Amino acid sequence: MSYVCLWSPSWPTGADFPADLVAGLLGVAPRVAVGERGLVWGDARGLHGGQLAEEMRRVAGDYGFDDTHAGVAMTPVGAEVAATRSTTPVVIVKPGQDRSFIAPYPLSVLTPDERLAPLLEGLGIETCGALAALDAEAIEIRLGADGVRLWQRARADDARWLFKIPPRALPQASLEWVEYGLKDPERMLFLINSLAGTVCTALVARGERAREMALVFALGNRTQRTHVIRSSRPSAEQKRWIRLVREALDTITLPDAVMGITLRVESVTGNDGAQGDLFDRGFASAPAVEDAIIQLTDDQGDVVVTPESSEHPLLEERTTWKRREAGEVAGSKARGLDGSKEPALNLTLQLLPTPKTVTVDTEPRRDHEVPVRYLDNNEWHDIVEAAGPDRVSGGHWAASYSREYFRCVREDGMMVWLFRGSAQQTTDWFLHGWWD
Amino acid sequence: MEFFLLSVYVRYSFFAPMSTSIAALRALIEQRFPDATPLTGGSHTTEQVATGIGALDRALPNGGLPRERLSVWAPQGGTTAILRAACHAVVAGGERAAWIDGDNTIAGTFWTRDDGGLYLIRPKSRLHALRAADELLRSGGFSLLVLAGTEPQGTETVRLTRAAREGGAALVSVGSSASMASLRLTSRLLRYRWRRTPFGDPAEAQEATVRVDVKAVGWSAHTVFPIPVTHHELRLSLESELADRRGLPR
Repeated sequence: MSYVCLWSPSWPTGADFPADLVAGLLGVAPRVAVGERGLVWGDARGLHGGQLAEEMRRVAGDYGFDDTHAGVAMTPVGAEVAATRSTTPVVIVKPGQDRSFIAPYPLSVLTPDERLAPLLEGLGIETCGALAALDAEAIEIRLGADGVRLWQRARADDARWLFKIPPRALPQASLEWVEYGLKDPERMLFLINSLAGTVCTALVARGERAREMALVFALGNRTQRTHVIRSSRPSAEQKRWIRLVREALDTITLPDAVMGITLRVESVTGNDGAQGDLFDRGFASAPAVEDAIIQLTDDQGDVVVTPESSEHPLLEERTTWKRREAGEVAGSKARGLDGSKEPALNLTLQLLPTPKTVTVDTEPRRDHEVPVRYLDNNEWHDIVEAAGPDRVSGGHWAASYSREYFRCVREDGMMVWLFRGSAQQTTDWFLHGWWD
Repeated sequence: MEFFLLSVYVRYSFFAPMSTSIAALRALIEQRFPDATPLTGGSHTTEQVATGIGALDRALPNGGLPRERLSVWAPQGGTTAILRAACHAVVAGGERAAWIDGDNTIAGTFWTRDDGGLYLIRPKSRLHALRAADELLRSGGFSLLVLAGTEPQGTETVRLTRAAREGGAALVSVGSSASMASLRLTSRLLRYRWRRTPFGDPAEAQEATVRVDVKAVGWSAHTVFPIPVTHHELRLSLESELADRRGLPR
């Protein structure tokens, strides 16, 4: 049973509702909420609903309300109807029967909108069951979004959040002093290490890992400076956070001496881990690999990458390097093992980050010129075969380009990719890459 | 070192038969200087990482790239293609491989995204590349690590070799500095098979033949095998000065 609804026809509603009654009810129910029309809700999740209803009625009786009715159901609407429409003091709706329980009751129990009520009456729909029997599409077309919401409640499909989830206080630790001001980063790090130990211990105890921590410096000029430190992987390891703090301290400049430090967890995540086959060698070493990759990412930025290619005509513009996500890094994918099959073996193009200017000698071949040798690093390379030109042009609305590419095989066997900038500038030759 | 070896030799030559003394000396050297022991002929054979290319594996001592050791492969001549195929073979076998692209020459268009176990690292500097190699090797989660575009020198090589031994990975450095390398490989593209135009001009290289030379202490072998050539998807315009708008970002 999830919800207990307590209602009395005699108690005042709105601002006149006795606040001390709520305080009393909190003695028996973990969470209590006062809703519309003087309905009092008790959170019965994980508890025996019937007993909680009796307890709440008893507390209400202690405050002078003897005519209370309680409804217990899996859904708020079921509990509400049970409390407000039944004649017996406590009504328990069996789990899974909320819809059939409210079906015979008139639509007024759902307190339909003033605009909807006459429409429903005009359609001849009088009970919750009659409304619940209709199709969602029909309701949406004729009655709109409000009608759909009412239809859902008539089907006991009630997703109201009655109880606000109280924000959990995240771990934090602080230290303040008044006798002196601290300026030495190493001494600060010493203190922060102690604070981090406290915070990380608390995180481990809660079964959580921190994504972000805030380092708050209380300064001698009565101001505060906050620096948020993020880890690329949620962690509760003191060592990792101290390393990040150390890196952050290298970049922080404070206007005054530090009189206090607070280390506060800003966001956390659970201790979820991937499941897999213990006998899979890849899975067994996944945590170590993940740690190494995360360490790399923390130290060097997004260096573990994966390509995303577009259809751009220029090869160097096609690829965008994206950071490989932590989940991908950690995962151990099932791989098809086929020892008899040889892996894909292909000579592919290697690209220079920036095309390199080279001097090229050419000779005519029918209607075009082809390279016969080129000078690179003060060394001439003879070309024994040249395929091309492959012409690529475009970008006339932005940075225009026009290139003639040649695939040339050098005498040492290496195949290089040369291009000429444009037809008019015959001297602008570039080495763009090679096949390897 | 020499004094030490001599003293061991003298001690054993006086008090033991010759065969026993050599075996003991070998065992001692293997224990004290694991990097100095040859890949073949020792008291135990080194574990290897098969490249998946049958012809090459047959030419390699023990049938693959040695784990916990440094192999040096001279750049170009199909090195990238062969090592990438080896990485794919490692991944297909359920293990992990990493490729450190020190000079950022890997073209994304040709990098396979499907291999979950193959990691591409594009470091920002030479030092970053070496640090990344050290970190990944020590993690123990990789069977093969290829360090391309950055060549370790001196103590850097020592450090990486130790990391490879600790992590149990086969480390392949693409470069020419063969100091401390257990295995030295060179490859050369011998010839190409071309598809030709109606005029007889070369139109497209379809296949290259590569020769790989393998050298280690007490080992020298070579193999020749073909490698298909993959070309980029060419987007042509008929006239070089005409705008070719196909494929521009939408």
